[in-house]
Amino acid sequence: MKFKTLESSQRLFASASVILLLLLLLARSTSARADAVSELASFSIFNKVDLAQLAKSEVKTAHGSPMSNPRFLAVQSCYVAPGSPAQQIEALRRWDPTRHRELKVFLHSDLPSNPTAASFEKLKNAPDNGPVRLLVAATQKLSPDLQISRDEAKKFSDTGGGGRSGAMPASVAAFWIDVLTARAKSFVSNGTSGQPPYDHSGKAIRASDELNGLLREQEKIRRQFSGLLGATGIGRGAGSLRPELYWELLDVDDQGVVTLGASYSRSGANGTFQAADALYYASGGYYVALTLYQLWPITVESKASTLVWRGDMISAPSLGSLHGVERLGSESVMMKQISKSVTLFRRDTSGSR
Amino acid sequence: MTRVEVVERMKNLAHRFFLPAFCVASSILFAASILAEEGNLEGLRDWFLSGEYVAEETYVGGGDVRRNSRKSVRDFDEHDSILHFVITPRIKPGVLRLGAEWERFSFGLPDGTPLPDNLQAVNLVIGLDTQLSDSILIRVEAQPGVYNTGFDDLSDDFNAPFVAGGTYIFSPNLQLVLGVSVDIERKYPVIPAAGIRWKMAPQWVLNAVLPTPRLEFEMNSGLTLYAGGNLKQNSYRVDDQFGDNTGIPRLNHAVLTYSEVRTGAGFDWKISPVVTLTGEVGYQPYREFDFYRAHVRYHQDGGAPYGMISLHGAF
Repeated sequence: MKFKTLESSQRLFASASVILLLLLLLARSTSARADAVSELASFSIFNKVDLAQLAKSEVKTAHGSPMSNPRFLAVQSCYVAPGSPAQQIEALRRWDPTRHRELKVFLHSDLPSNPTAASFEKLKNAPDNGPVRLLVAATQKLSPDLQISRDEAKKFSDTGGGGRSGAMPASVAAFWIDVLTARAKSFVSNGTSGQPPYDHSGKAIRASDELNGLLREQEKIRRQFSGLLGATGIGRGAGSLRPELYWELLDVDDQGVVTLGASYSRSGANGTFQAADALYYASGGYYVALTLYQLWPITVESKASTLVWRGDMISAPSLGSLHGVERLGSESVMMKQISKSVTLFRRDTSGSR
Repeated sequence: MTRVEVVERMKNLAHRFFLPAFCVASSILFAASILAEEGNLEGLRDWFLSGEYVAEETYVGGGDVRRNSRKSVRDFDEHDSILHFVITPRIKPGVLRLGAEWERFSFGLPDGTPLPDNLQAVNLVIGLDTQLSDSILIRVEAQPGVYNTGFDDLSDDFNAPFVAGGTYIFSPNLQLVLGVSVDIERKYPVIPAAGIRWKMAPQWVLNAVLPTPRLEFEMNSGLTLYAGGNLKQNSYRVDDQFGDNTGIPRLNHAVLTYSEVRTGAGFDWKISPVVTLTGEVGYQPYREFDFYRAHVRYHQDGGAPYGMISLHGAF
């Protein structure tokens, strides 16, 4: 009897322990969810998010805060993804946008920490299509639409030579390889502060000023990411965090554009992560673009998941001429494109965990 | 690593779609409440920092209209003048449209013609562009004002036509437009419209949206050439003695629906970021004066060439 009582007590204790443990876990999970949602509300446009609903739906997008600089535009989005924030960061790092033609990225290549001309060799085999031909034509006549510095423009006349293996004549490919190599090296040593201005035609535009301008106009976001950004080369000199560098050839408004990018990420408290992805150089179409990510671990239907906030900001000369409904339309297009991009990313990565 | 998607331009949508309706009173109340929300002078000043304007003049050469085999009006010309100013402040629900517009048709008619020398609209513009989803933009816009034959009597010629419609953004290169124009004084009070804006190639855009369908060719970032049409239809009320003066008493204070179609080619020259000069020449193949309630209708009997010049822009 005593034994039975003891056994029963032990069972009861064990059951109580399990229940307590479950309650504790549930409380932690609920608390983590509440923390994530309240932190999301504190700096983003999403001040009310139902995680259970969000987990079942596609990405949620919204206009960013209006900005006084007419060439700036921002869109925010949030979604729930399966797996932990660390897994999401890794998936972002591995994702290859060139697999999706609709994203209009023709070439994507990661760069070593010390980029050389060889890192851009793929450019010589650029695909033969309308946008690339337009880039070639613009380069050959040193179009005022090219976003390069005066010194870079002078170098084009020095680079002669014929022949081609892809759509790009050797002289054009050599010119861009030269520009991209110098700018990537400069980023490694001096961050965006060391980038030559776009002053080949007209007023000088500096990548650092544009990036800082974008952040300055979104104070809550700037504050949320100040720790991460302070350790990067985005809007400043080279930071303490090591960037993952890449370059791309893409289609912007039917024009071929070569661009340089840098990605950073780091973990925070309680399994959270922050990441920043800056396109700090573009040969045309836009001056700079910046994407920031905040990721929180959450539990949805007993599965480890991640609440992702994404802020996309862009500075583009063409935006400056858009007003009223045209601007509204541009924001809609940007939101639609981001939704598409996130949907493709989620589709590609949902089976990998 | 994932990447930022790049914005593509959505030019020339501004005047191209029509949208659901607001009654005038609710529009004014809505605008007033938004103004109150701003609550400070700085906010109010920001309101006037964005807007759009048009100053346009069209001259149509000698044309003919006829009512029947015995009654016609020959070789009269036309001036069409437009002034339009609208502020487009950004508010939470979208882009507000508040402003005023003046349009005056002046016809060089022979004396005794049972048609008015002038048709004039002086109206407010009260509207909203807003986003229904990532893919759908809608516009509602009322144009309450006085639609008559001149400044002599503005008292009882009030009308409030409105447009309502939506644009479905299929992709940056293709948008579908559906809309409706409502004017209770017009012969056909409700006119639906549909169209597409399709960027077919880097320099070619088919902007097949009423009232100004066009095929555009962008020579460079500052110059666009186009060919297309312009469909105009509005209703006006003539004065109390108009019928007595022209020998048809039933036309006193009657409603006239005036329609015309222009087809031509022109250019848009962007002189500066806020000033665009447009020049257009072409032929006016259709024109109609229709006192539809009084059953007096003068229709096109001979087209006429026209030329148009316009300064417009947005800031």
